Amino acid sequence: MICPFCSLLCDANDLNEIDCGLQNKSIVQLAKLRSQLDASFNKSVTDAEKETAAAIELLKNAKRVLITGRIASVQTARAAVSLAMKVNATIDCAEAGHVFKNVLAIQRSGIHSVSLAEARDHADLLIVIGGDALLDDCPRIPNALYSENGSPKTVLLLGTFTDKSMAAWTAAGFQPWSISCKIESVPTALTQWSRAPLQFSPNRMTSKLFTAMDTAKYTAVLWSAASLRVEQTDLWVERLLHWIASQNETKRCAALPWTSLDGTFQQVCTWLTGFPGRIRFHDGNPSFDTFTNSYENWLARSCELDRDSVVIVIDETAATDPYIEKTVFGLGRKFHSIELTSGSMRFPTAVAGAEVAADIFRADQTLLAHLSPSREYDKSRVRPAAYWLARLAP
Amino acid sequence: MTTRLFGGECIDGVSKSEVRDLYLVQDKISSVSIDARLDAEYNLSNHIVVAGGIDLHTHIGGGKVNIARLLLPEMVRQGRSHLERAEQDWQKIAPLSSPVPGTWETGRRYLEMGYTACFEPAVLPANARHAHAEMADTPWLDTGGYLLLGNDRLLLEWISKGAPQSQINDYVAWMIRAHQCCAVKVVNAGGIDAFKFNQRHLDVDEKHWHFSITPRQILKSLSHAVESLGLAHPLHVHCSNLGVAGNIASTMATIDAVEGRRLHLTHAQFHCFGTEGPHGYCSAVKALADRVNAESNLSIDVGQMQFGQTVTLSGDTMHQFANRKQARPRKSIFQDLECQAGCGVLPFQYRHDQYVHSLLWAIGLELFLRIEDPLRVFLTTDHPNGAPFTAYPHLIHLLMSYDFRMSIFERLHADVQRSSSLASLKREYSLDEIIKMTRLGPARALGLSNRGTLCDGGLADVVIYERCENPEHMFARPKMVFRRGNLVYHNGKFLATATKSTIVANVEIDAKMDVTLRKIWPTHYGYSSDLIRIHQDELLSDQRNIEFASRATKSVGIGK
Repeated sequence: MICPFCSLLCDANDLNEIDCGLQNKSIVQLAKLRSQLDASFNKSVTDAEKETAAAIELLKNAKRVLITGRIASVQTARAAVSLAMKVNATIDCAEAGHVFKNVLAIQRSGIHSVSLAEARDHADLLIVIGGDALLDDCPRIPNALYSENGSPKTVLLLGTFTDKSMAAWTAAGFQPWSISCKIESVPTALTQWSRAPLQFSPNRMTSKLFTAMDTAKYTAVLWSAASLRVEQTDLWVERLLHWIASQNETKRCAALPWTSLDGTFQQVCTWLTGFPGRIRFHDGNPSFDTFTNSYENWLARSCELDRDSVVIVIDETAATDPYIEKTVFGLGRKFHSIELTSGSMRFPTAVAGAEVAADIFRADQTLLAHLSPSREYDKSRVRPAAYWLARLAP
Repeated sequence: MTTRLFGGECIDGVSKSEVRDLYLVQDKISSVSIDARLDAEYNLSNHIVVAGGIDLHTHIGGGKVNIARLLLPEMVRQGRSHLERAEQDWQKIAPLSSPVPGTWETGRRYLEMGYTACFEPAVLPANARHAHAEMADTPWLDTGGYLLLGNDRLLLEWISKGAPQSQINDYVAWMIRAHQCCAVKVVNAGGIDAFKFNQRHLDVDEKHWHFSITPRQILKSLSHAVESLGLAHPLHVHCSNLGVAGNIASTMATIDAVEGRRLHLTHAQFHCFGTEGPHGYCSAVKALADRVNAESNLSIDVGQMQFGQTVTLSGDTMHQFANRKQARPRKSIFQDLECQAGCGVLPFQYRHDQYVHSLLWAIGLELFLRIEDPLRVFLTTDHPNGAPFTAYPHLIHLLMSYDFRMSIFERLHADVQRSSSLASLKREYSLDEIIKMTRLGPARALGLSNRGTLCDGGLADVVIYERCENPEHMFARPKMVFRRGNLVYHNGKFLATATKSTIVANVEIDAKMDVTLRKIWPTHYGYSSDLIRIHQDELLSDQRNIEFASRATKSVGIGK
């Protein structure tokens, strides 16, 4: 089976076999989520079914509809886009901001990229940019990149990494070294270092870096936009991509931009509509605008308006942090809401991959895994998000 | 459900073309009425009745297609009339919203031209589930995929170590079945992987720097496997040296490499360059066409280019990278993927006033006109690489009318007009030949014995076109399209959805190979083989089933 609790999608015979703090936490979260649902929700699927008519009526009368939330699976993404098209809604994932940091840069400049297994097998220099937050989102990245049979790797951590990250990379089998620097300045520094290393008076670290970059046959550059703490991240990514492209004139170098589970929505929305999200349907046709159609801006505009705005919030992950409630409803807005979660009208939704079979992209957006749940969901208590979305279609 | 079609001229390339009755009984074709009760009947005088079109090489699913969409949102015509933005004549009848539209539009537009089955020719193994998921969302079309092999490091390693052919055969069978594909495709054999090792060139007899094997060895081994497994479709090859002057030599060497086994050369127009001529490029079509005409084991699709904006997407990272400075707009994506292959996406503008572009246009048509058997040359634009698939009606017009061809030829770069032999080729395709190359030929080439004809028992995927002087108008919009006996499109209106099939090859997995791959997959890829293996039930739904392609019965070519 495959673990659905982070975007790495580790495979194991049993989830408990995966030695990962995040995964253990998520299983606990899932149990907690279900007990909260039982206590506060206190509604069977049959009762929820009766509310769909009212929800459909609400959608019919709405002047503006936003579909947002944490969509993790192909199945739910398909159903969400289909509903958005039928009710002429705006659709934008709650965590799309991270995805679009990379997307905007790629749409301007293109990219040389590499997938996880290729980097694992073939790269001999791995430059990891960011800070400890990278491992908070996906603790097993170092393990996923280590291969006994692959090219021996030099791992360079550039940014604000502490001993904690060093320890994780060491435990995975690498002998990492780090250069502490402002993350903001990394693309510029890499450009300067590779263009004119002799202009610097090299200290022990930078001379090691020059040597590593000179001798590397294949360099992979890893970052996670979600964990970067820099201003104007898309411009930062663009500068980094320019550096990577320039390296390829004479040698091989590629980016490994890490995304989270919401990358799945981006992929599905792209193949269905031609756009990676942040779209608004009009007469069934999508229009793409990364600013106007972001859920934050939709909410900011709609809060000035009347109650004819409806927000559909989907959460099919096991996360219990109040991110969505904070961002969508914590603003004191008086929206009607239809929540497919585990808020005004709630439909109990199964967690993708953990309670219901789901197709989810690994974070390098190359592998689409089919996740079978460890146990089948209780049909009297929950239903897949795609089921509810299909029921809501007028 | 029984439908009678009468008064129309039935054309399928098998039987004599004639006006006759045709019955659609449930999902099958019948020449006689089995049931006295008729649910519907249509008088089709002044119409032709043909089988549903089959596109055997069109990029409609998988990572690279989605990457092209991601890269080029500005090319989508949002909220504006498509006609308003159509730059070329051929785009004006039925423009797409983008060179790489979303799945809904792709399915709709193919059906609007009378196509009912399309095949994605480059399915990266790791990305196969994505390709199938995307094709599942492409309505009305039966689909299938060709598995991309020949740059997968595991295979290269085995060939370099002299693994027995039986081991390669079992590996290919396992890969085809695990990824639910129907054929094997090779792109620049060994070259994609070589580029990962910074090798920027790889000819057919040149050694891969790391594995010390040549493309010839890879092609020989894979063609042998395809024949041994009895796959209906021959090894589908994108040759070495894509778009390089003088690449006719490597194209010929590729044919030699398979030692007489069946071979399909894809988007052949990009692999037909000589080195003579005013700019170091000339047409070498005659050499290839003569060879195809003489050897029945060979078939090609052309990948005909049309002028205008498109986007090129290919697994051939090596040559896409070499062309990066030709990108318009100037941005591109290159990917090194999963120790299996790669991908290069470049937006591209083909222009009348550019010598090589003009030459390419003439080369494509020359191929169509010089190859005699329409069952071994297939009408494709390698969507979207040569042009979007909606260029087909225009292309048909070019093939059926010498005068129309010449009206565009006269606008080409002057050096091409002087050097090309296109003007001397007076052949005009007949309607029968067009139907053969878009229906019967691809069906036979893919082992789809129940498609491509109007024979009794065939699948009732039937298209009705109203006769028209201008074939471009005729083939742009059929009058009716039946899928499995149900009328799904009539007079410009979509009436119903249709059951879709996924075509897969019927090969069996060797138990020992299964054990071997289960053991070594984690070492090579970092995850278990279970992660990528697609189970048949994943391809099934209320509206979707699986069909097995017929097996090739003997190692001879199709056609003559």
